[in-house]
Amino acid sequence: MKKEQEIYYTKDVPVPETPEPGTEPEPWGKTRIIGERVPRVDGYERVSGSAVYPSDVMLPGMIHGAILRSPYPHAVVKSVNIEKARNMPGVRAAISMDSPGADLQWPYNKEVSTKLFDPRCLFEGETIAAVAAETPYQAMDAIKAIKVEYDVKPFVVDERKALKSGSVEVHEGGNRLKTATHERGDVEKGFAEADEVVEKTFRTECEIQTPLELHGCVANWDGDRLTVWESTQGVYSVQSKVAQVLKMPLSKVRIIGHYMGGGFGSKLNASKYTIIGALLAKASAKPVKMFLTREDAYIAVGNRPPSNMTVKMGVKKDGTLTAIQLKGNATGGAYPAGGTALIDWLFRDLYTCENVRTEMTDVYINAGPARPFRAPGHPQGSWALEQMMDMLAQKINIDPVQIRLKNIPKVSQAREGNPPYTSTGLEECLRKGAETFGWDRARKEAEANNKKDGHIKRGVGMGGCVWIVGGGGPPSTVVVKYFSDGSVNLNMGASDIGTGTKTVMALVVAEELGVKPSVIQIENADTGTTQYATPSGGSKTVPTEAPTVRNACIDAKQQILKMAAEDLGLDVEDRDAEDLRFEGEKVVSKSDPSKSVKIKEIKKLNKRGLVMGIGYRGPNPENKTVNPFAAQFCEVEVNTRTGEVKVLRFLGAHDSGRVMDRLTYDNQVFGGITMGIGFGMTEWRVLDDGQTGKMLNKNWHDYKLPTALDVPMDMTCVPIELHDHEANNTGAKGLGEPVTIPTAGAIANAVNHATGLRFTDTPINPIFVSRMQDKTRAAEKAGKEALSKEARNKEEG
Amino acid sequence: MLPKFAYVRPDNLKEAVEKLSAEGAMVHAGGTDLLGCLRDDVLDAGTLVSISAIKDLRGIRKTENGGLRIGALTTITEVSRHRLVNQKYKGLAQGASEVASPQLRNQGTIGGNLCQKPRCWYYRGEFHCLRKGGTECFAAEGENTFHCIFGSDSICFIVHPSDTAPNLAALDAEVNITGPKGKRTVKVEDFHVLPADDVMRDTVLAPGEIVTEIIVPPVKHGLRSSYRKIKARRSWDFALAGVALALVFDGDKVTDGRVVFSGAAPVPWRSREVESAIIGNILDGKTIRTAAEASVKGAEPLAKNEYKIGMFQGMMTEELEKIARAEE
Ligand SMILES: Cc1cc2nc3c(=O)[nH]c(=O)nc-3n(C[C@H](O)[C@H](O)[C@H](O)COP(=O)(O)OP(=O)(O)OC[C@H]3O[C@@H](n4cnc5c(N)ncnc54)[C@H](O)[C@@H]3O)c2cc1C
Ligand code: SF4
Repeated sequence: MKKEQEIYYTKDVPVPETPEPGTEPEPWGKTRIIGERVPRVDGYERVSGSAVYPSDVMLPGMIHGAILRSPYPHAVVKSVNIEKARNMPGVRAAISMDSPGADLQWPYNKEVSTKLFDPRCLFEGETIAAVAAETPYQAMDAIKAIKVEYDVKPFVVDERKALKSGSVEVHEGGNRLKTATHERGDVEKGFAEADEVVEKTFRTECEIQTPLELHGCVANWDGDRLTVWESTQGVYSVQSKVAQVLKMPLSKVRIIGHYMGGGFGSKLNASKYTIIGALLAKASAKPVKMFLTREDAYIAVGNRPPSNMTVKMGVKKDGTLTAIQLKGNATGGAYPAGGTALIDWLFRDLYTCENVRTEMTDVYINAGPARPFRAPGHPQGSWALEQMMDMLAQKINIDPVQIRLKNIPKVSQAREGNPPYTSTGLEECLRKGAETFGWDRARKEAEANNKKDGHIKRGVGMGGCVWIVGGGGPPSTVVVKYFSDGSVNLNMGASDIGTGTKTVMALVVAEELGVKPSVIQIENADTGTTQYATPSGGSKTVPTEAPTVRNACIDAKQQILKMAAEDLGLDVEDRDAEDLRFEGEKVVSKSDPSKSVKIKEIKKLNKRGLVMGIGYRGPNPENKTVNPFAAQFCEVEVNTRTGEVKVLRFLGAHDSGRVMDRLTYDNQVFGGITMGIGFGMTEWRVLDDGQTGKMLNKNWHDYKLPTALDVPMDMTCVPIELHDHEANNTGAKGLGEPVTIPTAGAIANAVNHATGLRFTDTPINPIFVSRMQDKTRAAEKAGKEALSKEARNKEEG
Repeated sequence: MLPKFAYVRPDNLKEAVEKLSAEGAMVHAGGTDLLGCLRDDVLDAGTLVSISAIKDLRGIRKTENGGLRIGALTTITEVSRHRLVNQKYKGLAQGASEVASPQLRNQGTIGGNLCQKPRCWYYRGEFHCLRKGGTECFAAEGENTFHCIFGSDSICFIVHPSDTAPNLAALDAEVNITGPKGKRTVKVEDFHVLPADDVMRDTVLAPGEIVTEIIVPPVKHGLRSSYRKIKARRSWDFALAGVALALVFDGDKVTDGRVVFSGAAPVPWRSREVESAIIGNILDGKTIRTAAEASVKGAEPLAKNEYKIGMFQGMMTEELEKIARAEE
């Protein structure tokens, strides 16, 4: 948990506040534009292609970088010769570990770092050398001309094997990176009290982020100032890492990322390519475009760690959970990268249980380091936990929704001191979701269908979730410039990673200042010109930035109202200004509507040109926690002859506080479900375990992302809008991650409902379904044989 | 990145054949497969001879005896949407519409679809395997989930990737070829090469030869055809298991026909076992059970593709039940 918070925001920093502490604005009552269906403010630019993404940036004289990477999962570089490459046509720079200025440290965390070009290659895709040339083709040709002598070592790429004794060691001292345990109550006592106990082992495969825009940057030096256009979720986090690695003052590093084409966590920070781009630009004295190939992006810049989880749970006949135990392992690859991070969270926090014990071991293997991936750890844990909940429900013969309703916590059990949630909509998500979905009827109809002879079976399943963060928090600073003509410029550091951040913030401005979205211009994601923000991740961008934007608007408004009060001859020092309110294009007295002044005619504003409102993100409520909740429901059809599974419909009921823009809200819900379908049904990384250890499906064809046909047409979004005035002054909680947490587990439950088979391993595709059916048939046959043998024995006996 | 190559685009067949005599020259039709192979270092081509300007190679028309002539440059989309194809050769229309994705079907041609390179991830990746002139097959002991259960002769375990070829083979179609030595005709059934015959060749085409057209014979009275494909995801994916049926019915009885698998073998795989289980019989429960069992007779699954056994049987059952009920 601590780690997540480090990534997404800083805890316990004293922050300035606007408006003054204690003068918190009233929660919005009935809103005019917030919550409506408003299309993206930059939709036209994005769709027409006029939006300039970092990969579109073209600078005069710009050349192209390419990186040579280790083809082996484990090798030591004995020598690198870049001379031939350096002299090839068009090549302007070539660097390797021996080059001046390239001997830099790359930190994975506070304790562990490697060299930028480290001779010890611990995963396929580790960086070895780089070139920059006039065309991308020349750069690639030059890369191929680099001579490297490798000492190829044995490898281990399966975490289950890595834990066995005698395994190849990724790092000296063994492959066990660390074991995290949490315990409350007494699980043994809990199991003893249970009427039913279920134990099962689950596995989730490695999933890879694969954003549409590749990872990369354009780097350019102007004297000692470095400017980087980076495809990133956070310009300030990239700035600090670049400054740290290159040992530069922050002020000399400018990172720009106005548009970016997706990251899902893998672009929360700078990568080695950012530094390499900067070094190549320096060495060639030219701007350098340094983008990865798709293949490299598959192996080198992040993934969702594969996990193995053995879960044991106890339940009483009435549905009360008596004990939860999780034991397992996962791998973040070759370096510390949070392999097990947050996999245990749902077990510890989602459902009420006094006796909980979790123990997860993080393991090193010779594969690319993991990175946070949309709701780190949660979909993995959910996959196991939600299936366990269904198995327990079956044991005691109660409905899956009911067993969850029976175990809704009032407080956060996993946190110290058990703080209450500012709002918890889990119960309503379950109830309203089930009702809207038609849960009871759908279950019955499926069961009636499955009693018939046909080989097409139907199943209906669901799952619930909480997301560990999603409340946002300080720091953030936003500046609103209110021009004398009533138009507004919003200046914020946050990136819009495709989630609609800019649109939501424009709506906040429009709501608060009463201006039309069309007169709002947003400047964002530029460390040179915009304010400090933490990276867009953790579903915290709306709950962090929206209140900050609102604060900035209120700050500007207070100043303008004072100016208007002067014009209207009201006593500014007295509380007269409070009698005034914005009304479209003018300021009007609440008590005497005949008193008004047009904004364009406010004298002081005209003279000053603009009013600048500054907003800071205030602190979160003390001793409470802000979290989003959800429940998702789905219906599937299974062809029991061929193993094909079709998802017929999905419903997401989400408590993420206030709906800011219904279109971006639905978009997140449907996108999250789509990604969950990928995690649960289509995606898995294939490493050539027995032979070369290399990734075999590092392309968009063999690595199977879900297509439009894998996702149902019939998707419903049910916002559960609780009024959470404590979370922040907009009442919005995070949404982008909970939307993908319960999806895969819900599918597995539905497939179980259809077939009676328990899919403990992802992905549920025809291959895995057929294998499971084979296994079941073999077991049945063995069972029958054993029975008849027994019968024969009896007869004979 | 693409390697360097010369590019020519003649507008007649004669010149195209001449240009193909250049060192390392290759035919470029829609380019959907070829450019990928070049980019991934699977192939190297000195010259690409685009045949896209040769108008004669386009389009579908009726032949004199009532069959179909499909020009090699006809796009997969055109095949899948063509009225006559849909009326008379449903299996072929279904096969074409099961190919890849809409974009690839719009750009890819039927000639290219027959001639495409295999999709084994070792072959397409950085592995110098047997089929690329190396000394070992990585799939034999490696990750062979998507590989074949028939016809490997323990040499190379690819599955032929085409969804149109099994249907054309089932319909007993022929391929017309023009090359430096003139014209010749080969049955689609004989067009692809088994690893035992030559592991480095995919088709019988000799250097410089171009597929010009595909001739589908006229429909026999009582013909029903269909194509079924099972994929790991629901679109833009190759067959895990697939079957093209072209069966001639007399009433309820199957009197003649062919059964050709995709996803099963290094070439479109004709299942004589299934054919003999059904020809002469009514497709009742018993026949279908026998046929399903016959579909995997002699199969040699690898460590990771054993699931195909049950899958082929299940698919066979489903498809035969369906075609028994289908209209002509
Ligand atoms: C991502 C992806 C997914 C795919 N999925 C499927 C699928 O599910 N099912 C399926 O059936 N196919 C699939 N394909 C293959 C696709 O159908 C073929 O790429 C396409 O049909 C090839 O046609 P083309 O005109 O683009 O051929 P090209 O790429 O131009 O050529 C392919 C090969 O055939 C040769 N060639 C082409 N035309 C002739 C000719 N007339 N005479 C002699 N040689 C010729 C070329 O030299 C080359 O070697 C997929 C392809 C891709 C890239
Ligand atoms: S199956 Fe064939 S193509 Fe694949 S690795 Fe083996 S020899 Fe190469």
